[in-house]
Order: sequence, then structure tokens, then C-alpha cells
Amino acid sequence: MKKEGKKDGGDRGKAPLTRVGFTHLPKVLYPEAGITKLQVVKYFITIAPRMLPFLEGRPAVLTRFPDGVGEKGFYEKDAPMGTPDWVETWDHWSETAERVVHFIVCNDLDTLLWIANLDAIEIHMILAPVKTPGHPDLLFIDLDPEPPATTADAARIALLVRDRLAAQGIRIYVKTSGKRGFHLVVPLVPGLAYTEVRGFVHAMGRELARENALVASESPGPSNPGKVLVDYAQNSPGRTMVAPYSLRATPRATVSAPVTWPEMEKGINPGDLHIQNVPGREDPWEGILRHRQKLPGGEKGRGKQG
Amino acid sequence: MKKESRGRPKVQATVVAQAKTGEKKAGGKGTESKRAGEKTEAAKAGRQETPVAAGTAAQKAGEKKSPRPIWSGSVSIGLVNVPVKVYPMTRDLSVHFHLLHRKDGQPLKYERVCTRDGAVVPWEETVKGYEVRKNEFIVLEKEELRAALPESDSRIRVDRFVHYLSLDPVYFDNSFILVPDGVPDAYSLLLTVCTELGAAGVGHFTMRTKEYPAVVHAYHGALVLTTLRYANEVLDPSGFEELAALPAPAGKQLDLAKKIITDLSGDLDITEYHDTYRDRVLAIIEKKRAGETIRVEKPKAAEVKELMTALEETVAKLGKK
Repeated sequence: MKKEGKKDGGDRGKAPLTRVGFTHLPKVLYPEAGITKLQVVKYFITIAPRMLPFLEGRPAVLTRFPDGVGEKGFYEKDAPMGTPDWVETWDHWSETAERVVHFIVCNDLDTLLWIANLDAIEIHMILAPVKTPGHPDLLFIDLDPEPPATTADAARIALLVRDRLAAQGIRIYVKTSGKRGFHLVVPLVPGLAYTEVRGFVHAMGRELARENALVASESPGPSNPGKVLVDYAQNSPGRTMVAPYSLRATPRATVSAPVTWPEMEKGINPGDLHIQNVPGREDPWEGILRHRQKLPGGEKGRGKQG
Repeated sequence: MKKESRGRPKVQATVVAQAKTGEKKAGGKGTESKRAGEKTEAAKAGRQETPVAAGTAAQKAGEKKSPRPIWSGSVSIGLVNVPVKVYPMTRDLSVHFHLLHRKDGQPLKYERVCTRDGAVVPWEETVKGYEVRKNEFIVLEKEELRAALPESDSRIRVDRFVHYLSLDPVYFDNSFILVPDGVPDAYSLLLTVCTELGAAGVGHFTMRTKEYPAVVHAYHGALVLTTLRYANEVLDPSGFEELAALPAPAGKQLDLAKKIITDLSGDLDITEYHDTYRDRVLAIIEKKRAGETIRVEKPKAAEVKELMTALEETVAKLGKK
């Protein structure tokens, strides 16, 4: 069963570049855009240096589309049958699944390429590293505009959040969700519990909601029509964020692409950042994990339960 | 009909991992070894399970008609012979699975092991036994059985003609499509006559090792051969005690029941019925397909080269960091 383990794809003589044997390369994964698996795998290869730092050391959850994005994909937390033994997995009790889940941990290029070969178009990741499962090292704010609120509305709120945090000395980074909204991220000095991070985001969301009618800070029902939800609840164990530079299962093969704040100010359409043009862009998130930050300690924001 | 006698074999079939493990388990008397026994029979009959994605193979089979006749001979009516090829008309669409070793997904195979010491017994050392009493067998040699075989003369002998609708469907076993073998004139004549008169030729024939009563009748522009069950293969329900003294229904109830039946009357459209279990299993397989079945496929050189060029760059970039 371990076909993957065999050297394959290497040019004769030389040591193989990867342990992954690529299969079904001509298969069309994005029927509307006519994008094949070959192009998807190539994208993964090209983007790997930017993506791997974020995937390293944390559980990945895949959404696989073996029949292309036109058909239903499936969400896969567990390392599938036939996972090569060189792929690192992390066994963790899942409260929701009520069993031990064998998460994939994408620590190296080969694992990422193996994931690509599984037609795992979307890679989602958990906010806490496997070393400290209860302590996230990323603060995550999902800004999702509820129609009729628009992407531009979400961008406006993103800028508000940036300014608010900047006043507290925190630098936040932004990426497109690849769909309609934006994802804001602060790399954290590990040590805070999920509840603390969640409490911080929640408190800020409530303040923003008081000041701006466009902002919703709570998500009691299924939707807040016309509002942009500052979703604090994502900062919870088991919740995931789509990885930076992950492809999305959209007709145009959009990417959850890191962008700059000047771009946000000018106005940006997440639909314009896709498999074709993202690899040619600068990487606004380069090295951001080397500058981890602390949340303003002890006082107000922290400690409040979300 | 593919199955031969169901005498319990002295040598039981047991599931063993394909990889040679030193120790072999002696087959228990449980259901597992029984199932295994049936499997080997199926395998002998030449109908092994389809590989990996059973569903897809089955669907493919559904699209085409059977390519090879399973038998050829002639329908003989008195001195007249109608040469025909025989194709199966029905098919089994149930989903078949392979048994795998859970830990590594390795397919398992069946082996005949001795029930006394668990040792694998090669085919050459086997013989057929008929169990007369518990654990007491009469051995029947191949030659003895062969001598008892009905003579196969490649003929479907029609003894007489009956009206097709007079046949009791309870005896119908399996149907086969007859196709003219060579000159079609006689076939066409027989088909036309059977169609016009609603006639069915009743007779018998031998296929492989078994002799069947059968009828030849017209169906959808073809002659169809339907094998029949023997009289003693069909139970008579009147043997049930519960049926002996049924009370006569009251007049009113009878009228009501008749009305209900009239209201529900209609035509049978068999396509309204589906094997929903099979549909659901195939849906699961579809979902899992491609992802979890690992197929070896040689990618095209040009594509791989393109990827390798990109990969070299990436590896270099990662190396620099």
C-alpha cells in the first residue's frame, strides 16, 4: 500500500527531489477555470516556502476535492489510510468527534506535496501548535460580511481593528479569506489560553460594535444581516483558520492571500487574488512569525471570558 | 445455479493473511469459515470479485451486454434444430468487497486448512466427501462423480409447447438470451411463431454439470430460455399448519378490502424500485474513491518534468533559509 514511499518523480541517477509520487496530474480540479491538478500541484510547490512556516508544528485539516471543486469535497481531520510513515501525525482526543483524531502535521515540503496529491485544495490549521495544544500562538479574527454588507465594509472594519490595535502597540496582519471577507492575524508569544485570546477579541469587538453600526460582536443566530461579524469564537480549541496561501474551492481558484495594509486602504477584491497571480506577488507575511507579540497584559482586555 | 452440491467439506476454508505468517489459525466453526467456503465456490465458478472500486466495475458491466456466450448449441424440436448462442440475461449488481487486513490494508486470501492441525492442504490432496452423519463422510472420487454426470449434447430439447401465460412463475429460475448462431432463418421462424401464438417450448437441457427443465419463449424480439426449478425444489405452502383452518372473512370486510385493492390498482413499473442499500454503499464508495484507494499510475514525463523544475527552485529556496 505504500506506493508513496517509493522514490518516484526523481530524474534518473540523482537523489529524488521528493518522496511523493504524483498521480492523476491531468485531472481537472477547477472545471470553470480549466485548472488541472498539475497546476494545483505546481502552485503548492511554488508557494511552499511561504506557506510551510505557518503549517509547521500545528495540526492541519484538509478539505479534499478528488472530483474537483464542482463536486462536493470532504473535510478530513484524520490522516487517511495509506498515509506514508514519514508523514508526521499528532494524536489528539477530539471532543466533537469523541474519539482520538490522528491529525496531519505538515512539517516539510514532502508532506505538503503529499497533501497536494490528495487533492486537498484547502488546508486549514489549528491555532495552537501541537507542543502547546491549549495555548494558541495566533490570534485570529475572521471578518465575514453578512450580505448586504460588502467586502468593502469588511475591509473598512479591518482597518478599524488595525488602528485600534496599533494604538495598543500591536501589529496585526491581514489576508483575504479567498471568498468575501478578510482574516486578521497576530502572531502571539505562546502562553495565553484560548479563553484569554478569545476574551481579548471579544472585548474589542464589543467596543467596536458600540462605536460602529456596521460591526456585530456577537453571533447568537445564524446571521447578522448587513453587518460585519468580528468573530471572536474562532479562537477556540479545535477551530481552524484557512492557512495563508491555501487555495480555496471557488470557481476561480482564489487564494487566501496575505495582503498589505496600503492595499487594503486602496480597496481589494479577494476574488482577484488567485492561483495564477499570487505566486508572482511579494509576500507581505514573510517572517511575521519571528516577531511574536504579547497582548496588553493582565488588565482590561484579557481574562474576560468570551 | 453456479453452486454445486452444498455438502459440508471436511477441509474448511479459512481467512489467512497473504503475507506468510508463521502460525496459521485453525478455522473455527463460526460464520466466518462458512462465508469463506461460499467464497471459494464462487471463485471456482470463475466469477471473482471485481477489483478495487467494486461499484464502478459493476456500473461498467451495466452499460454493456455480455461479450461472450456462456453456452452454444441448438434448440431442437423433433428433427428441427435452431442453432443458438446463450447469453446471460440477469446480473447480480450487489456490491462486492475484498476482505483486507485492517492494519495495513493488505488483501486477504482464502486457504483450505485441515481442521485437525491447521496445516494448509493443497488442492491435489483434496477429495469430495458427503456427510452422512455428523463428522462421518462418504468419499466420492472424481471419476465416480463424472460417471454420474448427465450427458451434455448441446441441445435444448423441446418436448411440447404450452401457452406462456399458463406457466407458474414460481418455478422460474434464471433467464438467458438466445441469439441465432449462424443462419438466422430457423430462429426467426421459431421466434415469430412463439410471439404470434404466445407459445413457450417446454423441455430440458444440460449446461456444465447440471440438467435443467426449461422453457423457450419470445420476449422483446428475442427467444429467451428460462430455466425452471424442479418440483421438489419448491415448497408447497399448504404444508403450513397455520394455513389449514383460516377463518372466512365477513362480507362487509371483504367488500372494504376489495375496494381498497381496486383503489390501489395499477401497473407494475419495476424501475420504481431501487436497491437503496446498494445505492447508499456506492455513494459512500464514490466519496471515498480516488482519495483512499491508492492506484499506481505512471505520470507523463513532461508533466513530471515541469513539476520537478519548479521543485528544484523550491528546494533551493528552502535550503537557503
